[in-house]
Amino acid sequence: MSVLDTARKALGVAAATGVEQSEAFAQLGRSLRVKVYRQEVEELVSSTGSGVGIRVFSGGSVGYAYTSDLSDQSLKAAAQAAADAMSVTAPDEFAGLPEPAGEFSPLELYSPELAALPVADKIAFAMRVEKAALGSDSRISQVESATYSEGDSHIALANSLGFEHQFSETSCYSFLQAIAEQDGQMQTGISFTTGRNLEQMDAEATGREAAWRALSLLGAGQCASMSCPVVMDPFVTASVIGAIGSVLTGEAVQKKRSMFAGREGQRVAGALVNLLDDGIHPDGLATAPFDGEGVPTRQTGLIKNGELQAFLYDTYSGRKDGRTSTGNGARGSYRSQPRVSPTNLRLLGGSVSPEQMLAGVDLGFYVMDVTGMHSGVNPVSGDFSVGATGRLIRSGSLAEPVREVTIAGNLLDMLDTIKKIGNDNRWVPFGGSIHAPSIMIGQMTVSGK
Amino acid sequence: MLLDERLIEKAIGTALEKGGEFADLYAERGYTTSLSLEDDKLEKISRGIDAGASIRVVRGNSISFVSTDRVDEKSLLAAARLAGEGVLGGGGSARALHGVTAGSVHRIEIAPESVSASEKAQLLRDANAAARAMGSEVVQVSVGFSDEVSEIQMANSDGELAREERARVRLIARVVAARGGVVQTGYDSIGAHRGMELFSAGAAQQVGETAASKAIVMLDSRPSPSGKMTVVMHRGFGGVLFHEACGHGLEADAVEKGASVFAGRVGERVASELVTLVDDGSIPNEWGSNAFDDEGVPTRRNILIEKGILKGFLYDRLRARNAGVAPTGNGRRQSFRHPPIPRMTNTFILAGDSTPEQIIAATERGFYAKTLSGGQVEPATGDFVFGVSEGYLIENGRVSYPLRGATLIGNGFTALRNVDMVAGDFEMNIGVCGKDGQGVPVGSGQGTLRILDLTVGGTEVA
Repeated sequence: MSVLDTARKALGVAAATGVEQSEAFAQLGRSLRVKVYRQEVEELVSSTGSGVGIRVFSGGSVGYAYTSDLSDQSLKAAAQAAADAMSVTAPDEFAGLPEPAGEFSPLELYSPELAALPVADKIAFAMRVEKAALGSDSRISQVESATYSEGDSHIALANSLGFEHQFSETSCYSFLQAIAEQDGQMQTGISFTTGRNLEQMDAEATGREAAWRALSLLGAGQCASMSCPVVMDPFVTASVIGAIGSVLTGEAVQKKRSMFAGREGQRVAGALVNLLDDGIHPDGLATAPFDGEGVPTRQTGLIKNGELQAFLYDTYSGRKDGRTSTGNGARGSYRSQPRVSPTNLRLLGGSVSPEQMLAGVDLGFYVMDVTGMHSGVNPVSGDFSVGATGRLIRSGSLAEPVREVTIAGNLLDMLDTIKKIGNDNRWVPFGGSIHAPSIMIGQMTVSGK
Repeated sequence: MLLDERLIEKAIGTALEKGGEFADLYAERGYTTSLSLEDDKLEKISRGIDAGASIRVVRGNSISFVSTDRVDEKSLLAAARLAGEGVLGGGGSARALHGVTAGSVHRIEIAPESVSASEKAQLLRDANAAARAMGSEVVQVSVGFSDEVSEIQMANSDGELAREERARVRLIARVVAARGGVVQTGYDSIGAHRGMELFSAGAAQQVGETAASKAIVMLDSRPSPSGKMTVVMHRGFGGVLFHEACGHGLEADAVEKGASVFAGRVGERVASELVTLVDDGSIPNEWGSNAFDDEGVPTRRNILIEKGILKGFLYDRLRARNAGVAPTGNGRRQSFRHPPIPRMTNTFILAGDSTPEQIIAATERGFYAKTLSGGQVEPATGDFVFGVSEGYLIENGRVSYPLRGATLIGNGFTALRNVDMVAGDFEMNIGVCGKDGQGVPVGSGQGTLRILDLTVGGTEVA
């Protein structure tokens, strides 16, 4: 049975419970993961899975249930559970399916060749990644594991207002953590590459980058506490943008969980800052023709030349504010109900190279990794404090490596003092799908010894 | 019963047809309920059915693992064949199944599925009302409830067959409080490998009250200073620091690769003699407990560090075999879709002889970390970082004003040596630990204790 047939069938079962509106989100997926260690396969993991999520509405109440078991009996049980659940949720005038909306962007997200390629080619790719890291310097003692993973996902959505569409997507990914050792000290460095097929990924560059990142931290220690200019590499910028993106939603504002509440139309960042939610970018791994409730995805300008333009909405939070959904009703899988979330966040790149950015700094901190971003940020005040590793910047060049320090400040102040934006944008798949460049912040507090 | 024993034997036999030394099967059928409340409104409810199985074939240090959410004979044998094709050579064979020693017992009095959704919804409303009653400063309350019951079968080519029914319930509350321009948040949770009896005696209200009082007290906070300080960790929550800073480095996968600061140091002093670190997945009804781990090995009490001396590591079957030791009951997985790896269960530092009052009184100037908001560690180096959601300054042996925006940063290896006082007020806390993309329920605990020379990262340069 095709994934669209599954959705149609589940929709029929849901409608039969007598609810006012119903929706079925069906998913069929296949995934493969290869882990290589010392040029041998450590782990070969493959899985196939399917499931359906049923959402129903009556009298403004919503109910949800899912099942990975697609037998008639379990489908019926799930539909009934969703219908029964409505008796518990509070009626809400804004709850309901989205109005039928316009056309989808034509997107090419599926690569049938990937699934057809022999597993041996994928193992070989992960081995090349590991080899490139090991071969780049004798101080690279090992690669903890080099991973290649891929997945196909077929998604169909059908609802009682007549929506019936499906799409398929493919993605692949490779990741490694290299370990460098010298004088009894160990340092780690990560890198990754993403694509929709193997040709889009560079095994050697990825392996070498992880090695470089580990090597460049060898000998790291705490630096003295200071206030200084900070340059963040694209990985770190992506963490910051992820934290900001999560509170640029209408829901976060409505629930008083956003530092941007009431700031629409105001300047919230340095004039160089342009931030976009882009649900249709061909290279973004969060790209899809429609969101988790069938609304076409699009580009939404969030911050333009430093000015806050808009928030992201799903159907429910949009109605609450008298707006239409921006196509951000995301679903992790059939197990979860749609909830507002960014698609691909893009902080548009600037004109300077990372080297030019460093050149103007007399004494500063080049941040290569931050930890605790998810727990260290107050979403309402914007105050944050995170652990950081990287290098000092002295007279415009990277100097001694630094670890066990924290950087702290306020996200709004930080956005406001972005002085330079690099031209080195890249996709970072951690904590969302984020296209981020290096950035330079005027001044931040670094706490060390 | 999930799968017929004859089918399990056939699948394991099929998996070993092409090679491999060892094969195992894990089958699961689970039911979940989750509810969420925010803005005084019961917003979302979800019910779920998750079922499937996976088969793993091991040869040397390679594993081939295939999961499927169809458990009919045809699908299961196809998965077994595919898993077998992933490792060639080895010549293992499957033995007939027999039962294994019973695991620890976790009694469920009120099964979650026997309680209606509207009674569960009332728990969220109770927590919400209790939080809002704490003060007019409370501007937002969100409460989440979840329960999960599952039936699991685990079998392997040595003929071992284990079966377990699990039930877990959890309630969490997040509160936002505001006064003037200052906004602060508070969090609390309760959870156990237990039924709905966990919520007797006003437990839901208490979670709401605790989260609200944490948010309100932080409204009076001042920006935290930075620099090296003596840190007093309040009972319970500090356990997560040792979970992150030491526990991950004691998991045998990291140790085996030498990617842990503890590798090769069994028998050596790695901590202050006040530190005895234990992992125990058999504690009745504790959040991180199960009768068996997820490879069918009975859970047990494992002493990791005894009076400062490193005693051993946490093993799954594969790493235990490599190290020539018995598995410790720590092979865990998020679900049938994930291969088992060494994980912590309930990890804690045994209670000491001091009292919390003595510890505070003995601290001239320090940082009192009452609630941590979460953290991360790099097992290879032991470097950790933690956010502090509720912290205070200690001045002249007394707890002074609250501090905000603080982060604790340090090295697990160093912090263990710098523990110089441990109190007897032991408490456990619950959480979900993420590793390799898999989340599993874990507990962590300790009595109030003191760590010398930890770096506090704040917004003020000291």
